[in-house]
Amino acid sequence: MNQVVAIAVNTFRETIRDRVLAVIVVFALVMIAGGLWLGSISLGEQGRMMKDFGLVAVTFFGLIVAVFIAAGLVHKEVEKRTVFVLFSKPVSRAAFICGKFIGLCGTMAVVLGGMGVFLFLLVWIVAHDASGMLLVAVAMIYVQLLAIMAVTIFFSTLGSAILASVLGICVFVAGQLSHNVLSLTRLSHNAVTAALSWIVYVVIPNLSAVDVKAGVVGESTLSWGEIGVWTAYLLAYVVVVLALATLVFRRKEF
Amino acid sequence: MLRRALVVLVVLACAGAVVAYQATRPARAPASPKVFVPSPEFFQDFSPSFRTSIADAYYLMLVQYYGEHIQGDKRLDSLPAMATLVTALSPHFTRAYLFSAFALIDAGRPDLAYALLEKGFKANPNDWHFPAYLAFFAYSYGQGKEKDLVAAQWYQKAAELPGSPEYMARLAGILLARGGAKEKAVLLWGQAFLAGDKYSRQRAVSELAKILPKDKEARMRALAPLYGTMPKPEADALVAALLKGYAQ
Repeated sequence: MNQVVAIAVNTFRETIRDRVLAVIVVFALVMIAGGLWLGSISLGEQGRMMKDFGLVAVTFFGLIVAVFIAAGLVHKEVEKRTVFVLFSKPVSRAAFICGKFIGLCGTMAVVLGGMGVFLFLLVWIVAHDASGMLLVAVAMIYVQLLAIMAVTIFFSTLGSAILASVLGICVFVAGQLSHNVLSLTRLSHNAVTAALSWIVYVVIPNLSAVDVKAGVVGESTLSWGEIGVWTAYLLAYVVVVLALATLVFRRKEF
Repeated sequence: MLRRALVVLVVLACAGAVVAYQATRPARAPASPKVFVPSPEFFQDFSPSFRTSIADAYYLMLVQYYGEHIQGDKRLDSLPAMATLVTALSPHFTRAYLFSAFALIDAGRPDLAYALLEKGFKANPNDWHFPAYLAFFAYSYGQGKEKDLVAAQWYQKAAELPGSPEYMARLAGILLARGGAKEKAVLLWGQAFLAGDKYSRQRAVSELAKILPKDKEARMRALAPLYGTMPKPEADALVAALLKGYAQ
């Protein structure tokens, strides 16, 4: 446990100091503030536009941060050869993967928390239309990105950092289309195709099960039960993927 | 020293060239009135988590498209498809229905405007705005003698919904009274002014200017009943716009 905490703290410190991260976050804040301009041409729908486009900006910039940092976490250690020093001590591979992931979770919490609070304050001050649901939506985006981070870390144990980043983004896109794969499963007349579609459906994280943005702009009513079950599903998914990443990483020889 | 001055000069010249290039570009010709608008099903199938964001993006595009063409070639060929897309992706987006309905009048399709508002009312059965504007459209663009009755029924429906202003029932009563077509039209265009966006306000003012008497005193008398069917600040703003140009 101490090993995991030590690696997590170290990872958090390392990633939060990354200058690229600061640049991305500043750019994201500028994009969120850009909602002000969009709101001004919306004929009285400033609050809605700021919330909706702000959450899209939080999602996409959060995704960029999550994928690119997660993809480089393991590789950096190998390239800098610090992994040799680390594994010469009684540190398990599982503790290494978990520590790295938890550290990144902390960084993402700071990044998304900052963007979320900035968006909330902006909507509150400019449009007087901020509600707690906006922060709930940011929290849900965070949980979605945890799944993507876990997947990217898994891919980074298999191949290069660039490949892991690309695959991480692909899984995010596929996760948005999860329901389409399910439809394909149901429409298929071929048992093999249906079985394959079903496997793909289960393997890809379902990121479109709850539309948090629609809930924030009053387009649909979100139930806490629905949000809770979806969160639990995504966290369970993270556990499974990290376990797989550990299995793959254990077979690596340094 | 000379070298540094030369570098600064080159940089300044480059900056000047960049600004000059952009400043001398000709204004973009008005875009084609026929733009590609995907079907709502496409977005509903492929991006359910981003459907409201896409609806908002298309709503902004719709406003821009309308503004650009209404002041230019007055062709709004793709407006019905855009309105259908936005409201299908975001069925509770009241402003999009109201703006699109008024814009569809300019597109020469009051029938579609009425149908759009009916669709909006079906999706938002507790929102009084829909029956109120359905009444306006039924009266202003409807045909036949029954239009007063249809409009009055819509106002009655609006009056029954929570949050509706008390003058809804009054408007229904006025429409059911016999005669006074011009007086009724004045009151209903006052309701169009209440839609809130600058385009519907401009339209209401120009339509009222056409039917109101030219004489100042007579015009003021004709406008007085508006205070019974509109909130005072809006009625003041409308009256001020219609009396602009008359000596105090």
